[in-house]
Amino acid sequence: MAAGTTAGSRVIGVWDGVRERRRPLMLSGLAVAALAAVGLLSLMYGAVNLTPPDVWSGLTSSSNVFAHEVVWQIRYPRLLDGMIVGAALAVAGALLQGVTRNPLADPTILGITAASGLASATAIVIDREIPQWGIAMSCAGGGLFGAAVLFVIAWRGAISPVRLALAGVALSAFFGAAIVALLSSSRTFLQTSLGFLAGGLYGAEWSDFHAMLPYAIPAFAAAWLLSGHLNVLALGDDVAGGLGLATDRTRMAVLAVAGLLTAVAVSTAGLVSFVGLVCPHIARFTVGNDHRYLIPVSALYGAILVAAADLVARLVISPAEIPMGIVTAAVGAPFLLYLVKARG
Amino acid sequence: MNLSVRHLTLAYGGRTVVDDVSLEIASGEMVAIVGPNGSGKTTLLRGMSRLQRPGRGDVLLGGADVRSIGARQLARTLAILPQSPEGGLDLTVRELTWRGRFPHQGILQRATKQDYDAVAWALEAADVGALAERQLASLSGGERQRAWIALALSQQPRLLLLDEPTSFLDVAHQEEIMQILRRLNRDGMTVVAVLHDLALAARYTDRIIALREGQVAFDGPPAEVFQPEALERVFGWRMIVLRDPDTGMPVPIPRRATIAPRTHDGAGGLGLAPPV
Repeated sequence: MAAGTTAGSRVIGVWDGVRERRRPLMLSGLAVAALAAVGLLSLMYGAVNLTPPDVWSGLTSSSNVFAHEVVWQIRYPRLLDGMIVGAALAVAGALLQGVTRNPLADPTILGITAASGLASATAIVIDREIPQWGIAMSCAGGGLFGAAVLFVIAWRGAISPVRLALAGVALSAFFGAAIVALLSSSRTFLQTSLGFLAGGLYGAEWSDFHAMLPYAIPAFAAAWLLSGHLNVLALGDDVAGGLGLATDRTRMAVLAVAGLLTAVAVSTAGLVSFVGLVCPHIARFTVGNDHRYLIPVSALYGAILVAAADLVARLVISPAEIPMGIVTAAVGAPFLLYLVKARG
Repeated sequence: MNLSVRHLTLAYGGRTVVDDVSLEIASGEMVAIVGPNGSGKTTLLRGMSRLQRPGRGDVLLGGADVRSIGARQLARTLAILPQSPEGGLDLTVRELTWRGRFPHQGILQRATKQDYDAVAWALEAADVGALAERQLASLSGGERQRAWIALALSQQPRLLLLDEPTSFLDVAHQEEIMQILRRLNRDGMTVVAVLHDLALAARYTDRIIALREGQVAFDGPPAEVFQPEALERVFGWRMIVLRDPDTGMPVPIPRRATIAPRTHDGAGGLGLAPPV
């Protein structure tokens, strides 16, 4: 595979070929600053408000027992969970939009979120005491299953965005109905079920974080490694095939990674919608369509959006909270309408 | 590097489109494939490049079965430019050209000097050096086609296959594309292009392969094979063949559908080929 290149004369890096194009590094820098700000605010505000020094001592020592309890045991893991959930959904959305060449693709619209959620709900109904890693595993199975169904339905035969969207709508409705049927017929339909259906980080803790990592780390890495393939796939199947890309295998791999990333998010936050749709578009405004940039920058925006939405969700009716998914939907739905209108 | 097509049969949508075709394309040739719509030109080109797997028969590249060659390895030797590619509109010409390095680069491998050189050469050879930082969406049809040729060239292929590279282009842009291909061919690249414009094919290529209903109808130098009778058999239309006073090359022209006596008169006297 490396044949035909001269060793010893390597320059710059895999980022080559686009460096002549103006890269809005500044915007990405601002985004990092925004993430840090949202993170700090998330640690400060909630049912009880803390000062930055309290947050600092809560994070770094256990001398201030109260601050340590609030920051280290509750808010910090919840913030990290939210950032991973947001990044996972945003990258899943970027992958799906790239592989389908359809700007309206996202894990929710294509039914992968619902497939993963059904697996999660089933696992919880079967064993109410299931540990978080068990939920994460069921979600992963469900996400991969949803991705596989989508591949088979939408890619046997012609590749058409319309077929794909129709398949997604059908899958999403079917799995979604199954989730509601399951939850409402079991005795476990509680307040938490509502949080699961709308999507939220209520009660998210370290165990969620630890359950997500084994899937999130390899999936993020795989997503980034597939970015060159996605760039070539974006040129169309024939051009990509002519460049030596195994188009069907690439699609399968991308869908599987998107399924896993969706599962990561669902295992902790339930059915969060619109993050996967909105974030890649915002990222595209700033870095263009090169997936080597688009994927990490989408992840960044996803982390910001979910962390900020969770902060809002915790504050609007404090000390109670609303499901975070309601906030992302409130941002995402108007954005979707804008997209539909702007793109015709 | 020779390309041998042996008893190749290809189906498209359940219908046999290429039917037991055998041909040899020698290293350094410049070949046009012509034929009516649906005669199997595009499918044959796709079969040659392994975009479509052969149903029956073999395609050998330098003696090796293309099925046994890795996809990326094949893409380092043979480039195919499909008809009117639609992606990549948001890319600059340079970014598009860089994507042609995909078969040469490993998954985490850094760009090498060879990559840079190949891209620079491809931009120059496809005559898009001045357009390198322009987005594809902002280019005219002819410029865009040259950008796609630059993509194929940055693969550094020995063999370049093109599907109707001049369709939808005006005269000047058609000639530009063909001159670029001729230049590449002069420097050693084997070029096979599906062309619709018979006069253009005669002007720029050394060998014409005509397909009809999935089979080779005729195959040879344009001056020999462009005969009115043969053309009528392939295209199902009466043709006359003029001579290009500059090059002496045949210029096939379809005859008018309704033959009024007025236009018929004196046709031979004007040096036209006799009606078939």
